[in-house]
Amino acid sequence: MRKAPRVLATAFFLFAAAAAASAADLKLEARLIWGANDEKGGPNCKPVDAVLASKLNRSFKWKGYFEITNEIASIPVNKTRDLRMSPECTLRIKNLGGSRVEINFIGQGKEVHKGSYTLAPPNWLVLGGDCTNNTAWFIGLRANDATSPNIITKN
Amino acid sequence: MKHELELKVQAWVDGELPDVEARRIGQWIAENAEASALASELGCVRRAMSGGETLALLDDSRDFYWSKIQRQIEREAFVPSHDPLPWFARWRRYMAPACGALAMACLLTLSLRQAATPSFDEISSVGEGMEAVTFHDQSAQMTVVWLQNNGGPADNQAAPKIIRYEDEPGTVVDLE
Repeated sequence: MRKAPRVLATAFFLFAAAAAASAADLKLEARLIWGANDEKGGPNCKPVDAVLASKLNRSFKWKGYFEITNEIASIPVNKTRDLRMSPECTLRIKNLGGSRVEINFIGQGKEVHKGSYTLAPPNWLVLGGDCTNNTAWFIGLRANDATSPNIITKN
Repeated sequence: MKHELELKVQAWVDGELPDVEARRIGQWIAENAEASALASELGCVRRAMSGGETLALLDDSRDFYWSKIQRQIEREAFVPSHDPLPWFARWRRYMAPACGALAMACLLTLSLRQAATPSFDEISSVGEGMEAVTFHDQSAQMTVVWLQNNGGPADNQAAPKIIRYEDEPGTVVDLE
């Protein structure tokens, strides 16, 4: 019986921590990736990390995957941030709370795709499409708990 | 005569006193008439009882018999307190475990909801002239949305025309 207050306090603390975590900012990273059959890529091409490359290799035919842009954002609940992945491509991401996001993919000023997804770590959400010369583009999104100096704080 | 002195006389008659004290009490009894009469009376009783006392036979050993009596005395000596508990003690007794259980249930529900949130409940739309194919690679922990031209006429409007809903892996429903 004497342990009851301690158990109650611990349970309350855990519950409060879980509630606070669910309402915290969503930190995510977005990578623009170019897929090609040239395994070396161009002079300014940086190969994506081996883990992500192996995931892409499982589903796609291209031999090389190269990172063009890597953005990290922290988005409060019910707030929207624009991630400019390239001069023609922008991701407008809204944090819906509970790991849910609404993604608006804008290409050349037009809305190309809009969807609501769950970004549950460590799962990747990959948007992709064909590109010229038998290549492809990908945008990989993943919820990321790690902090980074490259955080985008405003539009 | 004081009761303590009477007990001393009785102990002297029974031979339970140490030698020094027995001599002192014996001398006092010899000099005191009242004490002498009491000692004489107790001596008569002792002699009468020693011949008529029946021997008690026990099923248990002597130590076990007395230890049972001791345990019974200790049990009866412990009387639980019936003082009324203060209100906060009563509250803590019943409500604290209940609140703890409730908090744990809420925590469990919250964590289960987060863990059970499907990663394939996308609701998506694409611009006209485009189509999206969504598939999930569970082993790679990756969801892919592949966007491609559907061969139709290009549309300059950005407004989406097709709502695509995937309710389970591999099942895609297009809503006009």
